[in-house]
Amino acid sequence: MLSALGNPRQAAAQLMNFGLILSTAFMMWKGLSVISDSPSPIVVVLSGSMEPAFQRGDLLLLWNRNLFTETSVGEVVVYNVRDKDIPIVHRVISKFGTGPTAKLLTKGDNNDSDDTKLYAPGQNYLVREDIIGCVAPD
Amino acid sequence: MYSSLVRLQNTFGFFTTVAFVVALLISASDFLSPRTPTVNVLKTTQLQTVKGRADYYSSKKEEYAIIKFTLDADLSSLFTWNTKQVFAYVTAEWPSAQNNNATNQAVIWDTIITAPSSDHLGNFSPSKLKRLRKSANGKGIDPSRGKLQLKNQRLKYPLTHPTGRLANTEDVQLKLHYNVQPWVGFLSWNQAQDWGKWKALKNGLSKKFTLPAIKVKEQAKKKTTKV
Repeated sequence: MLSALGNPRQAAAQLMNFGLILSTAFMMWKGLSVISDSPSPIVVVLSGSMEPAFQRGDLLLLWNRNLFTETSVGEVVVYNVRDKDIPIVHRVISKFGTGPTAKLLTKGDNNDSDDTKLYAPGQNYLVREDIIGCVAPD
Repeated sequence: MYSSLVRLQNTFGFFTTVAFVVALLISASDFLSPRTPTVNVLKTTQLQTVKGRADYYSSKKEEYAIIKFTLDADLSSLFTWNTKQVFAYVTAEWPSAQNNNATNQAVIWDTIITAPSSDHLGNFSPSKLKRLRKSANGKGIDPSRGKLQLKNQRLKYPLTHPTGRLANTEDVQLKLHYNVQPWVGFLSWNQAQDWGKWKALKNGLSKKFTLPAIKVKEQAKKKTTKV
């Protein structure tokens, strides 16, 4: 390590190597993002509201494409409340209408009531756009 | 070349490969165990529509449906060694009045059925946990938990519609769904068709019914006419 300081060629190579590792990780993250069509393809569960299915700290792989069917009731989705950037993992419990304007209501399996109180003021339902992905595997 | 760091790296690399392959095999084992969920009874026993508010502070009056239903289902075949929990839920579904393509779907009742192996993960009260542990009797798999028997079950969640109108809604149907959560592998839901050993959930729909008109209002009218 110290000898590298005396050798600028070796130091530059080491720096390049380090940059390569960082950019590879970034490329993989963004590549996954493109494949799953989700701004954040892997999320960490922040609360215990879906226990015992998902514990706090569990990693979830998301899938945000509706290839065959629309997002429907019973699916576990990750959404962001309007103007807030905290991903919440909950289950869709009602859906009124179809298409991108369908009104969706979510609830954590372990919670007593639905998420109306969690949403932004004036926001009573979610739309498909608010959802950043559906939970694929466990 | 044979430094301890390289050896450690190789060992770790081999470990992750083996762990991944074992996980894949475990999740593939799910397809070998048959799933034959059956529904014996799913019917409504009471229907009513009332007016109410979402909460104390909301000014908007909406129509709420009050439904009581009876359910007798056997989901015990969903419990295998890889099952962490089964989430069973009943939805009310009805087509939209404006166009038939749009549908309305709302969960009216649900339950988390943990496998004995995941009892400790649920947020159960100590007494319930004790009861669950006792019922499992030390077994790792307890298929008897998959037997659902509800009589005149009330709604768990208020049933309304964004428009606030629900009375006289036609072609409402109750449907039982389930979601199996494995320890390792993908989430799976009830399917409409058979996939190999996984059979479709038959008879999981109730008869179509129409929500009645609002009763409370009529009674109020009668009162005013009497006076």
